[in-house]
Amino acid sequence: MRMENSLNWKVGGAAGEGIMTTGLIFSKVVARHGWQVFDYTEYPSLITGGHNTYQVYAQTNFAGSQAKILDVLVAMDKNTLGLHLDELSDQSIILYDSQDDKIKIDEYAGLKGKKVDLPMVSLAQQVGGTRLMANNVALGASIYLLGLDLGVLNGVISDIFDRKGEEVVKENQAAAKAGYDFVMNSVGAPLMTVAKNEGKNYLTMTGNEAASLGAIAGGLQLYAAYPMTPSSSILHTLAAKASEADIVVKHAEDEIGVINMAIGASFAGVRAACGSSGGGFAYMTEALGLAGVAEVPLVVFESMRPGPALGMPTWTAQGDLQFILTASQDEFPRFVLTPGDATESFHMTRLAFELAEKYQTLAIVVLDKHLSESRYTMTLDVTEFKNERYGFAQAPALDSVGFYPRYEVTESGVHERSIPGQVGGNYIANSYEHDKYGFATEEGWVRVEQMDKRNKKFEMMKREILPPHIEDNGGEITLVGFGSTKGALQAGRELLDKAGIKVNILNVSWMWPFPIQAVTDFLNKSVPFAIVEGNSTGQFANVLRQETGLTTEHHFRKYDGRPFYPHEIFEFVKNTLQK
Amino acid sequence: MNELPTKYPYLPTWCPGCGNFGIMNAIKMAILKSGIPREKFVMIYDIGCAGNMADFLDLYGFHGLHGRALPPAAGIKLANHDLKVIVVIGDGGCYGEGATHFINLMRGNHDITVLVHDNHRYSLTTGQMSPTTDQGTKTKSTPEGALEVPMKPLALAVSNHATFIAREFSGNIPQLSMRIGQAIAHEGFSLIDTLQICSVYNPTQDLKWYKEHTVGLEMIGHDPSDKAAAWARAMEEDKLPVGLFYQEKRPAYHQMVSELQSATLLNHDKSVVKMDELLNEYR
Repeated sequence: MRMENSLNWKVGGAAGEGIMTTGLIFSKVVARHGWQVFDYTEYPSLITGGHNTYQVYAQTNFAGSQAKILDVLVAMDKNTLGLHLDELSDQSIILYDSQDDKIKIDEYAGLKGKKVDLPMVSLAQQVGGTRLMANNVALGASIYLLGLDLGVLNGVISDIFDRKGEEVVKENQAAAKAGYDFVMNSVGAPLMTVAKNEGKNYLTMTGNEAASLGAIAGGLQLYAAYPMTPSSSILHTLAAKASEADIVVKHAEDEIGVINMAIGASFAGVRAACGSSGGGFAYMTEALGLAGVAEVPLVVFESMRPGPALGMPTWTAQGDLQFILTASQDEFPRFVLTPGDATESFHMTRLAFELAEKYQTLAIVVLDKHLSESRYTMTLDVTEFKNERYGFAQAPALDSVGFYPRYEVTESGVHERSIPGQVGGNYIANSYEHDKYGFATEEGWVRVEQMDKRNKKFEMMKREILPPHIEDNGGEITLVGFGSTKGALQAGRELLDKAGIKVNILNVSWMWPFPIQAVTDFLNKSVPFAIVEGNSTGQFANVLRQETGLTTEHHFRKYDGRPFYPHEIFEFVKNTLQK
Repeated sequence: MNELPTKYPYLPTWCPGCGNFGIMNAIKMAILKSGIPREKFVMIYDIGCAGNMADFLDLYGFHGLHGRALPPAAGIKLANHDLKVIVVIGDGGCYGEGATHFINLMRGNHDITVLVHDNHRYSLTTGQMSPTTDQGTKTKSTPEGALEVPMKPLALAVSNHATFIAREFSGNIPQLSMRIGQAIAHEGFSLIDTLQICSVYNPTQDLKWYKEHTVGLEMIGHDPSDKAAAWARAMEEDKLPVGLFYQEKRPAYHQMVSELQSATLLNHDKSVVKMDELLNEYR
């Protein structure tokens, strides 16, 4: 029996068959063994009938990416057997149900690995469960084959189905036990054993869940959004937590309404945010400028998917980068953060609220489908977060002219703001260029004074820059990416390590103001560098050249909607070094 | 505290005879009469001649984007429901470019007062047709006459669950002011479609025209709790009824949000956020 330090499991089936819940349960079981997990899902933009998959890659110490070759494939339907042929090896195990979907397994030419006919539906029904509980039979069987603890599975089932009552929990557990026993008898010894990592109390969450919780930790008070994949689960998570977290969540009429509502709330003094994907973010563009010119703090989430226009809703891309950096009429300073995993998503979102308030401007948190919807392993050292408030006038006073000079030029460019309700603080938050009181102006010198005032903030904002994620391994080449490429670069580096090839990693998670110094210092080393990014024209390469003058001839660009795989990074580096 | 807000940051730039003068004075009188401290009022201005009032009034203000004055108004009210929120917007911004906000925020009964300066034209952009321009009207953008049939905003508001619906004339400042006062006091979405003269781009619909083409609802007898009657009155075309069409008591949006029952959102203390319980689901 193999004593493994990694496992790769996938369940596939039709949308509406509970594939996502099944995968989540399996993932929690592995994480509760003290292993790190990385869950990757694929699904089409359909309610029912499309092919859904949930994949869990797990490792004893680090999991940051999905991997290709599966140890176990669970086929909840016939389709699954035909769609993943290139993800199987001779060592793989395929669980399928010949009775339920009338499968003749010999008809699947090229299906490598050991095929195990598991009567999922009939076993579920035999123990008194329903058809949907076939998923638990498959889970029980998977747990046995991968040497995991059935007791842990029972615990996760209990936690997830608790609110549906004791009876439902028992039925699901019985179905899991039936699957576990069936493969014990029919297959014999498990594929591997998994040693528990005691003392590892991992959290697992998607990038969007981490962003949502980071927002709550950062003192979010109002979130407004209009659903758009892959940003929607921020709305769903915050709406579900609204009562517990004591925040207000508003699903408003459209993305234009959403951002203007959030800006209004922020003007009135609360920490506010909104979010969308590229299409909805495009709608928000005019109001980005409003936050900029009226100097209203605002956090905006943008979770990218392939475009242009509607593109491919449920797939991943990094093609909005340059749009996000400049989206708006004219110019104003902004923060753009590009977290690379759930941990960064949590902390950078939390930070975004502080930055936006401190500099009275826009902070955009950029995610993509891969980060938004993949599940990462993380830990939090502290669970209590303190939030300082910035830039509020405690006792605003009218000046000699009789109004509050809310936009008066200061050394830092930031002036204290009053909020409606405060005596002596009335001013106009204006979408027009304005004077120090907020009144509209067309005077050239006032315009220049106010533009310069806003631009001044950018110099202060640069002092906040967080350096990129750098792994200096004395490598032959440095892999450069941003956002969600982080995990694939790290997993690729592990594969390369095993082959005796050392690489360095630089992944930018703070995009704007660009971390010129830190990036230049590292990339100016003598080794060559390669840029790995999810768009077709090299937008990050453009930004890098614009900000640092650095260029490279080595590029790995992907824009098929699929995330980078570690084995692709491996091949790319090998080919690049051979050149 | 309650002195009449008479100070002009800037002198109004409106044309002589513009209905906006009357509306602004009616707003000032209503605010004074309300007895509510001035700093509790927030004016949300849309873009256009009406919105330029931002520079002529000495009150907290938010001068938003074209057609987008209603969403920030709703956001401000959610953030601090102790405030009184008044939107100053034109027929173009409210019924045209921002119609989706108008339609949806009235359904939610957001507690904001929407004063639509309805002069049946886009005036600041030099007189093109608006959603309330009569069919056949020749304007710069419709030289052969507008092909569209005009919108009936009050009928829309009646059928779409606004809880305070009125039409007034900018020339009758005492009545308009009284109505604004009622709208401010009303807890919920209040709409006052204010018929307004634009002597430059719509000289036909002048004072004489309005005298001939309007009739007071009180004169003809109308029960503002009768929704069907309100709708019928809102559909009338020859003589435009003026007055309170409809009013009902229904919880305002912020009154239905469970998180806002204890205090205003502004007063929810986030200085220390404890995450332990929230994280349980992710273990």
